[in-house]
Amino acid sequence: MKAIVSVRDAVKNYRLGTVEVPALRGVTLDVVEGDFLAIAGPSGSGKTTLLNLIGCVDTPTSGTVEVAGKNTRELSERELTSLRLHTIGFIFQSFNLVSVLTVFQNVELPLLLQRELTGRERAQRVTALLDRVGLHEYGGHRPSELSGGQRQRVAIARALVTRPHIVLADEPTANLDSVTGANILDLMRELNRTERTTFIFSTHDQKVMSHANAVVRLADGKFVDRVSPAEAAAEGARV
Amino acid sequence: MRAWFSTLGVVAQIAFRNLFASRLKTVIVGGIIFFGGLLVVAGNSLLDSLVASMSRSVIGSVAGHIQVYNAKSKDSLEVMGRMMMGDPDLAQLDDFAKVRESLLKVPNVKSVVPMGISGALVTSGNTIDLALEKLRNAVKARQAAKTDQERLSADAHVTSEKAHLRQIVAVLQNDLKNASAVLDAKAIDKDDAAAVVRAASDEFWRDFDKDPFAALEFLENRIASQAADADLLFLNYVGTDFTSFQKSFDRMKIVDGTMVPPGKRGFLFAKHVYEEQLKLKAARRFDQIREGKLQQGETIAKDPDLQRMVRENVAQVREILLQLDADKTADFRRKLQRELGSQENDVGKLLAAFFQTDDANFLGRYDFFYKELAPSLELYRVRIGDVLTIKAFTRSGYVQSVNVPVYGTFEFQGLEKSTLAGALNLMDLVSFRELYGFMSGEKLAEIEEMQKSVGAHDVSRENAEAELFGPRSGAAAAPAADTAPAKKAAPAPRHVEATTTPGVAPVLHDLGESLGGKLQREEARSRVFPPDEVERGVVLNAAVILKDPRQIRQTMAAIEAQGKKDGLELKAIDWQTAAGLIGQFINVIRVVLYVAILIIFLIALVIINNALVMATLERVREIGTLRAIGAQRRFILTMLVIESLVVGTIFGGLGAAVGAIIVSVVGKVGIPAKSDIWFFFFSGPRLHPFIGTSNIIAAFIIVLLVSAFSSFYPAWIAMRVTPRQAMQEDE
Repeated sequence: MKAIVSVRDAVKNYRLGTVEVPALRGVTLDVVEGDFLAIAGPSGSGKTTLLNLIGCVDTPTSGTVEVAGKNTRELSERELTSLRLHTIGFIFQSFNLVSVLTVFQNVELPLLLQRELTGRERAQRVTALLDRVGLHEYGGHRPSELSGGQRQRVAIARALVTRPHIVLADEPTANLDSVTGANILDLMRELNRTERTTFIFSTHDQKVMSHANAVVRLADGKFVDRVSPAEAAAEGARV
Repeated sequence: MRAWFSTLGVVAQIAFRNLFASRLKTVIVGGIIFFGGLLVVAGNSLLDSLVASMSRSVIGSVAGHIQVYNAKSKDSLEVMGRMMMGDPDLAQLDDFAKVRESLLKVPNVKSVVPMGISGALVTSGNTIDLALEKLRNAVKARQAAKTDQERLSADAHVTSEKAHLRQIVAVLQNDLKNASAVLDAKAIDKDDAAAVVRAASDEFWRDFDKDPFAALEFLENRIASQAADADLLFLNYVGTDFTSFQKSFDRMKIVDGTMVPPGKRGFLFAKHVYEEQLKLKAARRFDQIREGKLQQGETIAKDPDLQRMVRENVAQVREILLQLDADKTADFRRKLQRELGSQENDVGKLLAAFFQTDDANFLGRYDFFYKELAPSLELYRVRIGDVLTIKAFTRSGYVQSVNVPVYGTFEFQGLEKSTLAGALNLMDLVSFRELYGFMSGEKLAEIEEMQKSVGAHDVSRENAEAELFGPRSGAAAAPAADTAPAKKAAPAPRHVEATTTPGVAPVLHDLGESLGGKLQREEARSRVFPPDEVERGVVLNAAVILKDPRQIRQTMAAIEAQGKKDGLELKAIDWQTAAGLIGQFINVIRVVLYVAILIIFLIALVIINNALVMATLERVREIGTLRAIGAQRRFILTMLVIESLVVGTIFGGLGAAVGAIIVSVVGKVGIPAKSDIWFFFFSGPRLHPFIGTSNIIAAFIIVLLVSAFSSFYPAWIAMRVTPRQAMQEDE
């Protein structure tokens, strides 16, 4: 199967004042299309940094990150932004909805930025997706009127509305209770199956990992191993 | 292009929603912009209206649209706002008729008014001199009386005039007593004091009839000099052709008396000057208190100005006392005792008590004053019909005096109360030229006659020395010694005129009943000058009225060009320049307003900038999210700028609209002129501001610029937000 994401020896250093702080110390990873991949590891292991590199939010200090066949280090800021807009969807830990827009408008936003669809097409797609995430009645609501789970569903709809190749989710359930979190993961998994969208999400929660096809484990900015959820769960139980 | 529009659509949509969502910020920022827009529109409209009304005042009262004068002048022309300072050094325009002819060739010129502006000191009457003159005449009449009847009536007359003089002496004696209380005894001349004591004594008056002329001489020499109540008046006047002045400045209207007939000497007082400077001070102050109370709604109890006037009236009853002869004194005593319900016998004290007015009794006393007391008083120091003797220093430094009959007073409609528009009196051109040192045809003929009679002949500068000292051999003498006598020997013709002026005429009222005096007065009143002499003579400047005032710049250039063509070196200045300091005043107000607007907008800029920076920082996560999901930086920038512009447009527009409404409401009601000077600037009792479209446009542009500028920094901050900042968690 073709790799949609290909990370080779990716190193990322952040500058904190005068000190260079390594966040990733050389990670190599391939993600194939249609994958449902969890990135696990304790705080500070580099999960978010790896997601940022894959999400074209950052470029590696050294090494290469290829997303949909494009080497991100060779792209300009504008091109990176465009790549994000057309191939990647984002789900954030804190949902990050635009508070002044309604649910419908939030979901519609990426399509407006793409400027490819007519108003009617946009409306059709947004309505269909809101239907899929079970929020078709909430289109006119403001994010502040929704529960956490509902907001994350809106965020998922927004991430999927452009039909991206990859959806990145940074700790998508961290701000949700376990039942809601499980529901959200079920929804993501279902969309992964039906839409063939690749999902990559970070987590340090064993239960969340169990939904994944595979778990990539990181520690201290380094790739540890790639295991099945069962193995990860077993080891997690042992620890 | 379509794509661009659709992005703009999204951006605008988000911007609008954001504005609506953060209503408080929008209202605060909008409020400031609203106020700014309002200020620009209201302030500028007010100022423009002020300029318009002031220009009406300046143009309509004396300046005309354009003033023309000799380009060779050392100083620039100023027709208004000058005080006691000397006249500007202007070169003359030799032949007004030629100037007018030249100017009228310029198509936009409607009319040309000859002018010359100058000022002179005028001594107005001294009460004791007048009283002495009357007594002397009465004494003479008694001597000349032929019948018993005549003698009896003359005797009564003498007695009455004597009583008046005794009254004056009594006032002087009282003054002396007051003076000795506050001054060092040495400061008072003993002889003066002794003279007053003698003049106040019963023996002096008992013995008066034994040798009335000796007694009169004593009074004239020893007493009159002590009653220094004659005021020096400084009058600014415009020498002009009355007919053409009245035609061109159509707001001019005669208040008292009549217009000066064409070709005659004559003087018209500006009504304001007449009231302010020539009226009996107590009466003038009474008028002002009344005006303050009735028109400005002030009260004596509260307004310090009115209180001051009341105090001055109480303290300065002397001016009235000096006018009272025996009959009038008795009359005043009786009337005042009755009015005040007082047993007091001293009229001075009665008057002081009468003038001690308050808000309750003022209007009653005002009516009483004008009904009962004023008819017995000379309310004005110069009456309409009097001959005014004006003395002025000519340009060459000699004192010249001219007798001009006062025909009346005038004012400019709408500028009745304006000190500035009302400061210039009008005089005929012939008299003006004489006072300024120019020669009239009449004078020239007179001089020629005199030169003939003394055998004088013109001496050229080159021959001056030879004429004076005889032919000289060689030119070895020092050059300094050469020139000095030459100057003395051959002055400009004007100098000759000034020195040979026959007898500097005496001051007003001083002419006496002598034959010479009578003749001079008669001459002043009756002589008619041919129009040609008035027209062809010298003037200093000319006011030009235009057909289309909007083309003032082009016309000024055309006038100068036409002058050159006709061999005249003319300088044309617009009314604002001609108005001198007053013209500058409007610029000052404009600068002040602009600075105020600038400051307000700078403050607005800072506040708006701050508010937007705060708002942007609050929106870092949102902006980061937008960036993460694919919004370009330009999108963020456009979004923020649109937010600012929308706020700017809506609130700035509202501000401008409210400003316009305020201006139009105020325009209907009018802003009342609080003091005399504002009458001038408002061109009347009220300023009715109007709205200029350009002001609204200006307000709009300024507001938009300020909104755009104030959003630059926050926008810059927003553009630096990375998508990574969307991921950061707050914990």
